Amino acid sequence: MPDTSPQPRILLTKSFIDSHDRAIATIALALRDAAMEVVLIDYEQPEDVVNVALQEDVDVIGVSFMSGGQVETTQKIFAELQRREVAGLPVVVGGTIRPFDVPPLEAAGVKAIFRGGAPMADVVESFRSLSRAYRGLA
Amino acid sequence: MIAVRETDLAGLLDRVRSGDSLAIARAITAIENATPLGADLRLAVRGASGLCQTLGVTGPPGAGKSSLVSALISILLEQYPRIGVLTVDPSSPVSGGAVLGDRVRMAAHSRDPNVFIRSLAARGHLGGVTRTTRGVIDILAAAGFDLVIVETVGTGQSEVAVAGITDVKLVVCPPGLGDDMQAIKAGVLEIADLLVVNKADLPDAGRTAGYLKAMLYHRGHDETRAVLLASATTGDGLKELAEAVDARFAALGAANPGEAHLIVTRDVLADDAADLIRAFIRHADIDRLCGTVGRGELTHREGAIAAVNLFVDSQGSKE
Repeated sequence: MPDTSPQPRILLTKSFIDSHDRAIATIALALRDAAMEVVLIDYEQPEDVVNVALQEDVDVIGVSFMSGGQVETTQKIFAELQRREVAGLPVVVGGTIRPFDVPPLEAAGVKAIFRGGAPMADVVESFRSLSRAYRGLA
Repeated sequence: MIAVRETDLAGLLDRVRSGDSLAIARAITAIENATPLGADLRLAVRGASGLCQTLGVTGPPGAGKSSLVSALISILLEQYPRIGVLTVDPSSPVSGGAVLGDRVRMAAHSRDPNVFIRSLAARGHLGGVTRTTRGVIDILAAAGFDLVIVETVGTGQSEVAVAGITDVKLVVCPPGLGDDMQAIKAGVLEIADLLVVNKADLPDAGRTAGYLKAMLYHRGHDETRAVLLASATTGDGLKELAEAVDARFAALGAANPGEAHLIVTRDVLADDAADLIRAFIRHADIDRLCGTVGRGELTHREGAIAAVNLFVDSQGSKE
């Protein structure tokens, strides 16, 4: 059966030293149930995220934070996106995002921020619309 | 910055051949999605897999295939400077979505420029690999990878399609898999060149290896396959496994593929041929033919044969 419209491909990731994977598993299942293909990795360095995103040709990167490094890691991911010439690849973040993290995250270019309690329908729709926009499907 | 979606075949192919990660990834996506560009790409790189060695890794879910592949990559990089890995996970039969988690076990290679890993969703294709895996191997071969490893979905007894698209087949068995009766059943065990009992640090590994060895013993003196014990966790047996894989590639050389290989390859070729024609039908002008069938001037079978002939003609004009 040929595809008539491409399935969104999403990369969900967290640091390998962070064992809090409940959020990422919950989102991965919700996206799977919304017909998306979800690649999972635990990154050692923020730059790894971009290398994997390129190989997997994903449309959206979602980074989950439960401990620290929200701003620094995200900035490094954006710098690497720039260096690898895929600056347009959308990044969303979620998890423990403190109020003072928000301005620098938005300045870095994150497209959406999801904290605990965010309605799952909104999360799914955000990934879907970012994917479609990145693929030029409007 | 390059365009988000490629449409230019020659330009994309040049970048694939130069080893550009994003270009390779985009080419794979096009092939997977069977876009018109993807169909052209498949034709352009068809048969390139003959340029590289291919290793199939299969076995039941949770046998430790991904961990074993990750450990093997580290060793095999000494002989094969650039390694491509395709790792297949199932798609949801309900939504069509997928969770592709194999490369979680391959984190050691997340930033290695000489290792390209791509997760593929089976998208409803049975047999343990995807409908387009052969075309994706061709892309990696065209991009200059020396070795391509294909890790299947967790398989049951009868998913053997990987045998038709890879040169050397590794079947990974977890300890406690079953008994001597399971070991002599037809299916996935038959396609193995090497049988590996992984998690050899666990109890029962020796017993499982014994059942598999007995199965090979029953087959007589011309049996050349081997049973090995390995542990991706402790590292025991990995060096021997890598050497055995290498020896298999060396032995392949000029040898004729065995009959079992031919039979499975025939099925895979039939699938590939169907895919090529399907892609052609999607983007070629065969509406006129459909009209003829619709008006009853041709039977469906005659229409199908005419469609195949149109496809053959189109290939002639390309060369």
